[in-house]
Amino acid sequence: MTICHFFLQGRCRFGERCWNEHPHGWGDGGGGRPPPPQQYPAAPSGCSRGGWSNSSQRYSNVIQPSNFSKSTAWGGSRDPGKTSFGSFDSGASSSGSRNVGFSQNRFSTLSSNQVDGEGIAKDMEVWESSGQWTFSVYSPMKEKPNISGFTDISPEELRLEYSNCITSNTLQSYLSSIQQLVNLWKSRLLELKNISAATRGALVRPGVSFLFSVIAGFPVNSSSSSGAQNFSFKPTSAFGAAPSSSSTSVFGAAVMPTAPALTASSSSNSTLTTSAPTSFGFGEAAAVSAASFSFKSLEVFNFGSAGFSGFPASSPVGTAGASGSPAFGPSGSGSGATPFGLSAGGFGQSGASSTLPSSRGSDTASAEHLFTPKNELTAEELKQFVAKKFTLGKVPLKPPPEGLLSI
Amino acid sequence: MSLFGTTSGFGTSGTSMFGSTATDNHNPMKDIEVTSSPDDSIGCLSFSPPTLPGNFLIAGSWANDVRCWEVQDNGQTIPKAQQMHTGPVLDVCWSDDGSKVFTASCDKTAKMWDLNSNQAIQIAQHDAPVKTVHWIKAPNYSCVMTGSWDKTLKFWDTRSPSPMMTLQLPERCYCADVVYPMAAVATAERGLIVYQLENQPSEFRRIESPLKHQHRCVAIFKDKQNKPTGFALGSIEGRVAIHYINPPNPAKDNFTFKCHRSNGTNTSAPQDIYAVNGIAFHPVHGTLATVGSDGRFSFWDKDARTKLKTSEQLDQPISACCFNHNGNIFAYASSYDWSKGHEFYNPQKKNYIFLRNAAEELKPRNKK
Repeated sequence: MTICHFFLQGRCRFGERCWNEHPHGWGDGGGGRPPPPQQYPAAPSGCSRGGWSNSSQRYSNVIQPSNFSKSTAWGGSRDPGKTSFGSFDSGASSSGSRNVGFSQNRFSTLSSNQVDGEGIAKDMEVWESSGQWTFSVYSPMKEKPNISGFTDISPEELRLEYSNCITSNTLQSYLSSIQQLVNLWKSRLLELKNISAATRGALVRPGVSFLFSVIAGFPVNSSSSSGAQNFSFKPTSAFGAAPSSSSTSVFGAAVMPTAPALTASSSSNSTLTTSAPTSFGFGEAAAVSAASFSFKSLEVFNFGSAGFSGFPASSPVGTAGASGSPAFGPSGSGSGATPFGLSAGGFGQSGASSTLPSSRGSDTASAEHLFTPKNELTAEELKQFVAKKFTLGKVPLKPPPEGLLSI
Repeated sequence: MSLFGTTSGFGTSGTSMFGSTATDNHNPMKDIEVTSSPDDSIGCLSFSPPTLPGNFLIAGSWANDVRCWEVQDNGQTIPKAQQMHTGPVLDVCWSDDGSKVFTASCDKTAKMWDLNSNQAIQIAQHDAPVKTVHWIKAPNYSCVMTGSWDKTLKFWDTRSPSPMMTLQLPERCYCADVVYPMAAVATAERGLIVYQLENQPSEFRRIESPLKHQHRCVAIFKDKQNKPTGFALGSIEGRVAIHYINPPNPAKDNFTFKCHRSNGTNTSAPQDIYAVNGIAFHPVHGTLATVGSDGRFSFWDKDARTKLKTSEQLDQPISACCFNHNGNIFAYASSYDWSKGHEFYNPQKKNYIFLRNAAEELKPRNKK
């Protein structure tokens, strides 16, 4: 029997009735599937299409085009709509006939180290709209560490809590803690949705380190708040509260490089990610006044830059303001210090959106004073300091004047 | 002639006494309903091993009880016995000779239930609810493995009050499966560890999770030589990952697939995504069944990477499932799994366990 050419291409109209041989390694469920308009009763018998998806975009690091050699030999490039059972995430199928989706993977150019910001935003949207279980951890790509800020609670644990509360008559506290957890989740979700939009451009740059995923680790949830103690921030007790304010976030970003585990280059992804939650408390309670943050963070800036390989040499704090302030402006600026930029973008986001424009100059030497005399501030900076909260994109790089501190 | 295992329609004769024209959707698949089902959500199901003649089904529920039924060939289910814990029962399993049943409960203990004497004694103690219990039968030892939310995995000789061995887990144990000599444990925070059980249990490998969300259930599958070779891992995000331990080509052999989602092919409307509550492999065909919070079960062929069947939607989530020892019966439990929180919990709602003839529907897609 001759081998059926059309079957190999995945478009045999006769399916099981075909007179030619259909090699059975294909798993095509009984014959090639005809183009959709032709409903072919025999062929897809029992072979329903649902479930095997092709959203391979997120799993770009696992896709290896070389696996397609088998399929290309057969010229099998069908569009996904015709496959018998959709297609898969990650990896070509063993029968090699279903890889089409991967060639369309628009993220295939991303290096495996890059985190796909768009994917994260999409995941967050799906999470929000799909009604899936709320209290789950999440990681932007398979085989990558979890993004912090999400707690893992299984339905059984929750239910057990409920039963215990019912019996001990503390139902109200159960309800309110659930509410709190949901709020935490919601705000974290929003942050992640927005980071990705903002930093999308920066993500695709070569050399963008995986630091991005670290960034995502900012608002600390209560369990990791203890780590924040590492930093000599006064309001450590404020950490662990619901991430609400955005005012501190930008400075928080500055802090990042100094996290003890951070000295390494971007390749030490996992260390970064795991240390991230412990080392900052951005978006922490508004109790952390910007002022107290500022001068500490500046000190921190100084040694931070040394250890941070992602930066161009000159970039530490001081110049940050100038060259597109990568520290504070995410994506948009996209200069060499992108990791930093990304992070800042991340932080800036809690609730707010959009890219941060670079905070203009008057940068250098800010580290030298603890406080800036009022006359050295521009009107805008002054306005920022005076305001209750910082506006994203306008956060001054210089420390506030002494008189404006309100600790 | 045994009706279980043939294609005759025993299902029709054995349906519940509510009548076949029920307008409610509690049994859209017209499967056999188990009599005197538990009063609260069923967390776990387990069929007796082949060493026991006949089929006996054990179910643990959130009403703190463990019930046992005899399932006869004509589909009739006869309640046999019941035992109580002081907390909801999260997992059950049989010993290899079919004489004992092990039960794990939120009361932080695991018990051994001797069916002949109908006595249950405590054999394990943890600091937090015990989520999984499995019997390990090795050539040189036998023990019970319990995984708990106290982040430990303990191995118990049933005669001694202290564990033979304790292994630390990175996080709370969420699900586990044992097929000698392999054990797979999935924990919170997407942890995944495989153990090898020869000589004595030891950690074999920590695996980076192939899934992005919380792990919910795991089941080990075997290769053609009947050796465990990988596992299927389900998450709350309507996705199952098939993962081989030592595949010739990991990128190609390991894959994930979406399941238990609404409007699967229509990508414009936002999908509803449901958790995968249980995965079970057919002991003969090697095909798998998944049950989800959407109230459906699906059968899949992982080698052909195709779906074999999806059921109609039940009016409640399906919280547990299992196959009997020869793969003729597929049991699934319809009860609330807390997937939508306490607001959707209705204590008055009846919980069901259904039995379905699984001999034909789970045949692999392409016979070699």
